[in-house]
Amino acid sequence: MKESIMNKKTNWTAMVVLILGLSAIAFPLYMTIIIAFKQPAEMTNSVSGILSLPKTWSLDNFKEAMRVTDFWNSLKNSLLITLLTVALSITIHSLMGYALGRNKSHSKFYSFVYLFIVSGMFVPFAILMMPLAKQTAELGLANWFGVIILYVVFYMPMNIMLYSGYLVNIPMALEEAARVDGASTWRTYWKIIFPIMRPMHATVAVLTALAVWNDVMTPLVIMAGSDQNTLPLAQLNFQTQFGTNYNLAFASYLLSLIPILIFYIICQKQILNGVVNGAVK
Amino acid sequence: MKNERKTTFLLITIPILALFVCFNTIPLIRGVIYSFTNFKGFGSYDWVGFRNYMDLFTDARVGKSYLFTFKLAVVTTIVVNVISLILALALNSKIRAKSFFRGAYFLPNILGALVVGYIFNYFFTYILPAMGTMIGSDALSKSILSNPSSAWIGIMVVCAWQAVAMNTIIYISGLQTVPEDVYEAGGLDGATGWKQFRYLTFPLIIPFFSINMVLSVKNFLMVFDQIMALTKGGPAQSTESISYLIYNNGMSGGQFGFQSANAVIFFIVIVTVSVAQMKFTGKKEEQL
Amino acid sequence: MKGKAVRHFGIALCCIVAAGIQGCAASGDNGKTKIEIVQYKPEAASYFAMVEEKFNAEHDDIQLKISSPNDAMTILRTRFIREDYPDIIGIGGDINYSYFVDAEILADVSDYAGLQNIKQAYRDIDEALELVPTEGTYAVPYVANAAGVLYNRDMFEQHGWEIPQSWTELQTLCTQIQSEGIKPFYFGFKDTWTCLAPWNAMAVSLAPADVTKQVNRGETNFAKEYREVSEKYLDLLQYGLEDPFAYSYNDACTAFARGEAAMYPIGSYAIPQILSVNPDLNIDSFVMPANDDATKNTLNSGIDLQFCVTADCKNKEAAYKVLDFLLEEENLQQYIDAQIAIPCKEGNFTLSPMLDGMNQHIAEGRMTDYQDHYYPSEMAVDAQIQTFLLQKDVDAFLKKFDTDWLRYNRDIIRMVQDYEKSHGN
Repeated sequence: MKESIMNKKTNWTAMVVLILGLSAIAFPLYMTIIIAFKQPAEMTNSVSGILSLPKTWSLDNFKEAMRVTDFWNSLKNSLLITLLTVALSITIHSLMGYALGRNKSHSKFYSFVYLFIVSGMFVPFAILMMPLAKQTAELGLANWFGVIILYVVFYMPMNIMLYSGYLVNIPMALEEAARVDGASTWRTYWKIIFPIMRPMHATVAVLTALAVWNDVMTPLVIMAGSDQNTLPLAQLNFQTQFGTNYNLAFASYLLSLIPILIFYIICQKQILNGVVNGAVK
Repeated sequence: MKNERKTTFLLITIPILALFVCFNTIPLIRGVIYSFTNFKGFGSYDWVGFRNYMDLFTDARVGKSYLFTFKLAVVTTIVVNVISLILALALNSKIRAKSFFRGAYFLPNILGALVVGYIFNYFFTYILPAMGTMIGSDALSKSILSNPSSAWIGIMVVCAWQAVAMNTIIYISGLQTVPEDVYEAGGLDGATGWKQFRYLTFPLIIPFFSINMVLSVKNFLMVFDQIMALTKGGPAQSTESISYLIYNNGMSGGQFGFQSANAVIFFIVIVTVSVAQMKFTGKKEEQL
Repeated sequence: MKGKAVRHFGIALCCIVAAGIQGCAASGDNGKTKIEIVQYKPEAASYFAMVEEKFNAEHDDIQLKISSPNDAMTILRTRFIREDYPDIIGIGGDINYSYFVDAEILADVSDYAGLQNIKQAYRDIDEALELVPTEGTYAVPYVANAAGVLYNRDMFEQHGWEIPQSWTELQTLCTQIQSEGIKPFYFGFKDTWTCLAPWNAMAVSLAPADVTKQVNRGETNFAKEYREVSEKYLDLLQYGLEDPFAYSYNDACTAFARGEAAMYPIGSYAIPQILSVNPDLNIDSFVMPANDDATKNTLNSGIDLQFCVTADCKNKEAAYKVLDFLLEEENLQQYIDAQIAIPCKEGNFTLSPMLDGMNQHIAEGRMTDYQDHYYPSEMAVDAQIQTFLLQKDVDAFLKKFDTDWLRYNRDIIRMVQDYEKSHGN
């Protein structure tokens, strides 16, 4: 059965749509790359001037950007925060998503908890900022660890929505079969449900990682004065009210784009390998 | 057996809920308390009762920001969801260079606000007017960001450009839950193209459609980065979003107490909108 | 397969965590007095890094740490709310300073000997910034900036144009420049804050220096005091671009650097950005001649950076030593050279030739602080001016200015009135 789908010929309509849409991405990307290689003195306000190639293709901007942002150190902090947040999110949020998703349709309590947590997504960060700055300091969490805890809480609403949405299409029959075999709910979850949700884990990983990787405000407010920089924090140095070095900034953004792009490509493979199809049959 | 299941669920739910309350609900309550003061963000403050809330309803600037934000959110949500559904279907179909395309369409979401702001400012200030002059269009020959009646379109374009990636990812993962045999069965009945999408695919991804709608509406109602990158509220204060006011006047300015009140009302508004949305799509889910 | 991947991921994670913890534990304690400065001008970060290194090399009893973060105001506010105060903060002489004095966050430094060498004009500015007269001195002014008009010196020499001394001369000059097919002014009004530059430069000569205080005391209103500024601003606009709201500060700097306009009404703070695009540009500046009577024209200059010791500082002695070091002529001169700044300290400093046209006013102390240093930022006067320049309706603008002023300064006005009452005025 599956074979017949796999052997279908290329969908050319889709190809045309995708190739046309690509120009909307290629153009800004082209500008980013050439600006990253130019010198400030090559910046102009004319259309032909900005679209022209840089005079020389030197990596000096990239080297300088790495020096200014203390690249390896900032990268280490960013990686640490992002990876730990992703790992904790997948574990905690999928469990919570499972507990709520399986019960919210028939239990008032769980449906309330679900709505309560999901509505937490709509709290404007500005109102939480000052109280959180104070609270994390009181708890001795004004550091990268506190930032991770906050991320796990901030992205909980969205991820729980995603997990419980995914569970709708996973039949109860799977769990019931395991229960008949005498497995506990806990065991059933880790042995059957958790692996089945792999495409969703990958989706959650991508979305969470992306949000964390680019976030400036949380580390700025929580880690203020702790001497630890994440990449986006370090990149703030390029931008001041009275002057911005766009060339260095663009080089630095290109550098910080690479790790998250690699992460995405790895996760994307997992999203593709959906196992639900097999499971339902 | 039944009890074991119940206990397990409770043991999972309670600690995680406690964590959530500790770092979301409690700070929120503390923030709500500030909304009854004239706190500047530092120093001492006085209780002012409901003064901030009364001011809020008579403040023309706040009213204008609500109108602008809702207009932007509604239009952008529609645009983004249409585009990302089409993209998700295309990326999910049998195409060549799949990984390349998926990677490419993900890129807008990772470019930082500074880069996006610079490039689109350049595009709207210089490139688009140059193109407008070339094709002889008067409307396009001036920067759309300098005109108070069209600046929101520029912001809409950038919001959509950045957001499409995330919505597409969610749609793609939704499409993975559609069993292939559904298509096969449909194929035998002669359902192809639009019909296949309308009657087979779409009903099955409705949970993801509703997640995307809620997330989009929420993200665009809370729009901030794109405003900072493109117009900083201008021209003529025509693009001041609610979040922009809350952040700029509350955090950077001296209106912390007043903007906390604004944030509280804003929170209630978004929750209401989103719950209504979820109720609505929830009904749709049950119908199918 | 999958199990292996998970294990690899786990191991990688552990390594990173370990590395992170190690990184945190590296700071040691060596019994020295620690002084921490947070200053808000990230563009001067390399100067302050140099100061930090030099100071620590020369002093073995004090360990100085200076951070120059971006968005320092947010960082300071969050640290204040945590009650984690740096010893010294470097901020501008603007309304935030007024608020900090009012909030009693800053320490009285009137016993600091170095204050004697600070120019009286700048000490007066700080005094005036206090919301209500407060006993004591709360800041040590370091450097100032000035706003007027930057002009392309080579272009002026080539065409034989003269620096205008009066409003009429400025108008004649602009018409002349226009007739030679050159743009007199470039504006970057897409960034609303740039709208304040010409506004301030004209308002210092056309409105009373303490106009906001007069309004707070209920003695006058803006409709009266700001009418001339507003009208002259509209005049200025016609010598600019067709659509000045399309271009940002950065666009304007680039265009001016490339010789696309003869003049650029902005502050001295823009010079480094302009020079980054065209290092060979020959820039000079002059005082905005807002009046026809040249003697009434004053230079718009305010405190760009000043140091305040926080009330929480445990070691004022050490903090003063750091201030002494920062104010040493050699160090201050380096700052001035790098940032094209104006020193607040008396002494023999060499100013950048790009400030030549303003030199006389500086030497004579004919300077008045930026009007916007008294505006609360949430009132968004910059955006209101931008709206006004788009709609060109003087009456509507001034009316809104007056009503908004009362609305946004309600608490301050009440405080001023209470003060007046209790002091028998």
